[in-house]
Amino acid sequence: MSQRTERRGIHVDQSDLLCKKGCGYYGNAAWQGLCSKCWREEYQRVRQKQIQDDWALAEKLQREEEAAAYASSHSAHSQSTAAQHASVGHFSKFEEKKTNEKTRKVTTVKKFFSPSSRTTSKKEIQEVKAPSPSISRHASFDTDQVSKEFVDFLKNLHKPGRETYKQCRAFLLNMSSKKVCCPPETITVSISYQNKETFLFRQDLGADELSECVQDFYQNLADRLISHFKGSSESVEQVMDQVEKYIMTRLYKSVFCPETTDDEKKDLATQDRIRALHWVTIQMLCVSMEEDIPEVSENVVKAITDIIEMDSKRVPRDKLACITRCSKHIFSAIRITKNEPASADDFLPALIYIVLKANPPRLQSNIQYITRFCNPSRLMTGEDGYYFTNLCCAVAFIEKLNAQSLNLSPEEFERFMSGQTSPQFSSSDSDWPCSESGLGTTVTNPVLVQLNHNLELLTGLCTRQEAVMEAAQSLQADLLTWSDSVQQEVHNILEKYPLEIISKVSAIDANTDNDNLPSPIKPQVFAD
Amino acid sequence: MSAMRVDAKVVMLGKESVGKTSLVERYVHHRFLVGPYQNTIGAAFVAKPIQVAEKVITLGIWDTAGSERYEAMSRIYYRGARAAIVCYDLTDSSSFQRAKFWVNELQNCEEHCKIYLCGTKNDLIEADRSLRQIDYHDAQDFAEEIGAQHFETSSKTGRNVATLITFFLLFSILKTRDCFFFVSSEEAGVDLGQKKDSFFYSCCHNN
Repeated sequence: MSQRTERRGIHVDQSDLLCKKGCGYYGNAAWQGLCSKCWREEYQRVRQKQIQDDWALAEKLQREEEAAAYASSHSAHSQSTAAQHASVGHFSKFEEKKTNEKTRKVTTVKKFFSPSSRTTSKKEIQEVKAPSPSISRHASFDTDQVSKEFVDFLKNLHKPGRETYKQCRAFLLNMSSKKVCCPPETITVSISYQNKETFLFRQDLGADELSECVQDFYQNLADRLISHFKGSSESVEQVMDQVEKYIMTRLYKSVFCPETTDDEKKDLATQDRIRALHWVTIQMLCVSMEEDIPEVSENVVKAITDIIEMDSKRVPRDKLACITRCSKHIFSAIRITKNEPASADDFLPALIYIVLKANPPRLQSNIQYITRFCNPSRLMTGEDGYYFTNLCCAVAFIEKLNAQSLNLSPEEFERFMSGQTSPQFSSSDSDWPCSESGLGTTVTNPVLVQLNHNLELLTGLCTRQEAVMEAAQSLQADLLTWSDSVQQEVHNILEKYPLEIISKVSAIDANTDNDNLPSPIKPQVFAD
Repeated sequence: MSAMRVDAKVVMLGKESVGKTSLVERYVHHRFLVGPYQNTIGAAFVAKPIQVAEKVITLGIWDTAGSERYEAMSRIYYRGARAAIVCYDLTDSSSFQRAKFWVNELQNCEEHCKIYLCGTKNDLIEADRSLRQIDYHDAQDFAEEIGAQHFETSSKTGRNVATLITFFLLFSILKTRDCFFFVSSEEAGVDLGQKKDSFFYSCCHNN
């Protein structure tokens, strides 16, 4: 390096290039003349010191305040002091945070001019401030994984791949740079959201503008790729899928449910709405699914799982895939019930039912996110698009749902909504609106019905068990008395008929009692 | 790839049980044009690639729920649709009123969407003329008024189903000039075992 510079005629002393700490490695002006390793150490030390200083300051402030508080409430007993202590503690923490931010702002201006140091600073902050470090670490692991996959994928494409990567990087930097050039008060805001992601936005940039940025980027990139691949739409789409995956994984945290929109409010409203509608039965929606069939209920459960899983995905396309899977399960459930292919007339009510059952988390945010950031060619026309549209319809229906749309009278609807009564679940016939709502004993929830049923079974089993036990015991007793009685009987018989051995009888002596017996026939000779 | 590319979106609209799904089923399962068909478990969404002259065009046919309780949502469905097939039952005059409602909606919200008016269950009428509740000429007049194409189809016999879709292709994708070429070259392909169709030609002459 020095040789080259010498050849150019500019003399740079070798020692100037080396690390100022004298470790033998080359230093860098961006690291204040230190080598990377020493700079990191030095930086760590400075930061640690700063944090300690901040703490010390905060503690000092706290002590002062406490002393003041103590002085003012001199006669107050210990309990109230403890409460005050706590509140002061809160406040001082806030103070500390504020001073932290102030000093950070200063250091941002002073020191962090190289990009690498900027990222390290963020990592530091994350480690110090992130409330749940494991989550943020997991997220960054995800992003790293996606980046790696993306690079691997693009490697196979050679030149267009490299270019695509460059463009994506530039786009991401562009998005994040909007934060760097923003006014200081925005920095304060963004720092308090440090744990969100490496790429941050101006918080005042509306969600629609963000969406426009991303959509423009998709459009430009797709146009360029089409010229690269000479109109082969298949490969363009493949690349676009990967690009979407990469970009949206990186941007997810900052653009999903942004602060500038009322998505979160809508989420909560929808969630409450669905919760309030818990009493809607499959019959009210005229859904042609019979959950009694095990295969059908299995499909229903799978559909519910899929739609809930949607929230856990980061890429719009993956979210769409969840909706599609859910829809396919609904279709199979309908087909099994009806034994013929399902049409939209069956499907939409079924989907509404599934959404009501599942109450998917952050439903509105997810729908908004997909609409804003999904590749539009997929969203508008394809199969995924169809199911997504149906989901939007289902949500719109649930929002506008009234007595008429469930074929109920307004009074009944009101009563169900207010939770005074609920339709009977046990009578799964078509006469679902329970007219005998006056009965307070009607069991409403199918789970409760099941529970009661099981309880009944258990009690039945219990009594039967007891009966069996009793019978067994009596059997045991019987057995004992039986053997006794048998013994007794034998004994009695033995006593009654004692065993006498009459030896005389046994042998017959022909000579002894010849008088009783007829005389033996003697051979007679009949002589003539 | 999770879903295949779709070039044009077609929405099926119409009153409940008017025969939208049967129409799609009939069209998809009857291979009257070249190309393998791909359908999902249900008939609610169908992506079908069709060879038209030298181009392959993939139609995405969207079935919609016809029940009145969902009519507020139908706008979400036909956003971005290239064509809409508005169905009514020839034996049910109320379904024609509903069809008018949808045509009105379409004209208000989606002006670039080409409308096809389609009377279904023609086979019932052929069996018993007294069942007809919608006069052919009334419907034809209405269609002309709104600038739509009008067909009377039967999903049972396949009458006019092919023509309907073919006309959709003609008007939405190809330039009008190409359509004569298309008709002549594909005529052999449009064979559902029916007689040469008078509407088929009359429509062409109208243009």
